Amino acid sequence: MAVETLPEIPAMGPLLVRAAVTARGRHGDDVPERTLRVEDATVDRARLAAYQRITGHDVADTLPQAYPWVLASPLQTALMVRPDFPLALPGLVHLENRVTTHRLLDAADPLTLEASAGPLRAHRRGRTVGVRLTAHVAGDLVWESDSVYLGRGRGDEDTVRTGGPPDAPEGPARAVWRLPENLGRRYAAVSGDVNPIHLHPLTARALGFRRHIAHGMWTYARVLSALGRGSLGPSTSRVWFTRPVELPSTVELVARTGSDGSVAAVRPAGDRSRTSAVVVLEG
Amino acid sequence: MTTTRRAAVLGGNRIPFARQFGPYAEASNQDMLTSALEGLVARYGLAGERLGEVVAGAVIKHSRDFNLTREAVLGSSLSPDTPAYDVQQACGTGLEASILLANKIALGQADSGIAGGVDSASDAPVVVAERLRRKLLRLSRARSTADRAKALAQIRPTDIGIQVPGASEPRTGMTMGQHMAITAERWGITREAQDELALASHHRLATAYEAGFFDDLMTPYLGLTQDQNLRPGTTLDKLASLRTVFGEGEGATMTAGNSTPLSDGAATVLLGSEEWAQAHGLKPLAFFVDGETAAVDHVSGDEGLLMAPAYAVPRMLARQGLTLQDFDLYEIHEAFASTVLSTLAAWESESFCRDRLGLDAPLGSIDRDRLNVTGSSLAAGHPFAATGGRIVATLAKLLAERGSGSRGLVSVCAAGGQGVVAILEAA
Repeated sequence: MAVETLPEIPAMGPLLVRAAVTARGRHGDDVPERTLRVEDATVDRARLAAYQRITGHDVADTLPQAYPWVLASPLQTALMVRPDFPLALPGLVHLENRVTTHRLLDAADPLTLEASAGPLRAHRRGRTVGVRLTAHVAGDLVWESDSVYLGRGRGDEDTVRTGGPPDAPEGPARAVWRLPENLGRRYAAVSGDVNPIHLHPLTARALGFRRHIAHGMWTYARVLSALGRGSLGPSTSRVWFTRPVELPSTVELVARTGSDGSVAAVRPAGDRSRTSAVVVLEG
Repeated sequence: MTTTRRAAVLGGNRIPFARQFGPYAEASNQDMLTSALEGLVARYGLAGERLGEVVAGAVIKHSRDFNLTREAVLGSSLSPDTPAYDVQQACGTGLEASILLANKIALGQADSGIAGGVDSASDAPVVVAERLRRKLLRLSRARSTADRAKALAQIRPTDIGIQVPGASEPRTGMTMGQHMAITAERWGITREAQDELALASHHRLATAYEAGFFDDLMTPYLGLTQDQNLRPGTTLDKLASLRTVFGEGEGATMTAGNSTPLSDGAATVLLGSEEWAQAHGLKPLAFFVDGETAAVDHVSGDEGLLMAPAYAVPRMLARQGLTLQDFDLYEIHEAFASTVLSTLAAWESESFCRDRLGLDAPLGSIDRDRLNVTGSSLAAGHPFAATGGRIVATLAKLLAERGSGSRGLVSVCAAGGQGVVAILEAA
C-alpha cells in the first residue's frame, strides 16, 4: 500500500472547504489503497487541556482514549478530499467507531499517525466506508481506531444488518447533562472539526438538519470520561451513533457496569424510548 | 476507645510545584489533587481500595469546589466508597489534615487514609467588584424586560473590573510580606542571613533531586519533572542583586529571592495503622508523635503574623518532655527566609522565652545542618495547602533513612496569625 508522509498535520479548515467544492461528481466503487502518515506529531498541551475540560476528563498527562482520533482526523479528511475518493465528505454520517488503546498514552510521547480507508460496503441506506487510524510510538502500535461512515444514497434493502449496538441499558439516569447551544462551536474550536452541522441552526439547516447537533466524538468522549478511568489505560471501546443530539438539549446517561466492562447510552432527557449513542467499554 | 495506637506515615506523592501562570496555568485544584492522589494510588497499589478517609483542602477555592477532595477521590482509582472531606487552615492546611487523620487512626476510628492539599495561584476564582456583584444579582432577579433594562443601565463602565484574590490579611489590609517585614525588622534579621538561607534551600533541594531522593515521592505532571522554581545555579551574588519588595527604606531586606513565589501544586501523604500497613505489605516510614496548633494576635500588632509556631512548638515540647535540641531533623516552612530566622531568633531570645512563653530559660539554638536538609519552600515553591503534605512525606522518608527512633520537628506558619507544628519519629 502506498504510504505518503506529510510534513505536518494539515489544517482542517482548508480541507473542509476543498471537501465542499469537490463534493459533486464523486463516483466509483473503489477506495484507493493509500496511507497518509505524519511522523512524530507532538501534543499541544493547551489544546489537550481544553479537550480534557470540554469532555469531562481531568487535565493530566494521559491522553483520553478518543483524543488521538482528534489529532489524526485531518489526515482522514485529507484522504477523503483526494479526487479519487469515491464518496463525498459533506453529508457523510459517522455510524460507529471502535478504539483500542494498547498502552497508556502520555502527552510527551511524539505520535506517528496514519490514516487509511477500507473498501466500500453495501448498506440499506447507501454505502459505508471504513477509515482506520493508528498511532505508533517509537515503532510500537499504541493506539488504533476504526470508524465507519455512511455515504447516503441508493441503498441495498437486502443488506444483512450486522454488528449493531447492544441493547441500551434501561433504568434511571446515572447523570443528566445540559448541553449548551454553543457546545458545537466550543468543541469545534478545540477539535478543529468545523463541520457546519455542529455550529449553528442556520448552517445546519442548510445541510438538511432541523438544528445543529453535537459532535459524535464529543458525546463518545464525554461518555468515556463518565465511565471512570478505565478507558485511560489499555482498553477497547466502541460507540454507535444512533441518532443526532440536537443543541441545546438535556440528555441522560444510563449505564450498567459489570465485571467485563460497561455498556452506556445517551438518551434525550425524559424519553427512554430513544437512544442517541451507545458506548461499550471493555474492561 | 480506651487506648490509642500509633499512626504511621507510609509514603507520599506530590506533583512538582509550578510557578504561577506556568505549566499548570490550565489545571484546576481538582485536576492537580486528582493527579497527586492517583500517583499515590499507583505507587502503593491502592486501586479499588476503600480507605478510611481522604482529607485535603485548598486555601484558594472556587465555591463550586465545595467537595473538592471527594470529587478528586471519585476521579481517582480509589474505591468510590472512600469518604472524603475538605479542611482549610491557610498554609497549615496540609499539616492539619495529616494531624486530623493521624488522630483518627490513633483512636481506631480509621485504619488508613490519605491527607493532602492543593492550591492554584493561576486558576484562582475571579471575583467581580462588590458593587458590580450586587448589580448583577439585581439584574438576574429582574423579571420584566423593563426591569432588566433598568438594572442593566445601572452598570457603569467603572464597575467593570475583577478582583483576583491576594495574600492580604482581611483585618489589616496588609499583605503577608508587609507583615513579615515588620517582624523581620523587629528581630533584626539581616538581608545576608535571609539570602544565605534561600541559597541553602536551592542548593539542598537541587542536591536531593540529583540523588534521586524525590523519585518515590513525586509523579511528573504536565511536562514538569521537578519544581519549576528551583534554581540550582543561584549564588549569593545573584540573590544580593535583587531589589527589595517588602519593607521600607533602609530597613527593607525582603526580596523575591528570599520570599516564596506564588505557586501551583498538590501533595498527598498515605497514613495507616501498623496492622493495616502490614496487611498491605507496606513498611511504616515514621510515626506521628504529636501535633499542636497556636494562634497569635497579629491584628493589634502584639505579635507578628507568622510567629504562631514559635508558641506552638514549646507547648508541644513541654507535653512530650522534650527540648528543642532533641531532634535529628527540623522542617520549618520557609514562607519567607525571615520567617524561619525570626522563629529561631525568638527561641534563642531570653526575653521572648521568659515574657512571651513563660519559660525560665530560652529554648536555645538548633544545629542548622539539621534544618530543611532537602530544601524547603523558598526553592520548591509554596502552593499553600500543598506544603504540609510535601513536608510530612519528605521528613518521614528522611527519618526512615536515618534509622529507628530518629525524631523530626515540623513547623508551618499560616495566615490569620496561626501555626501548626508536629513531631514525627522514625519507625
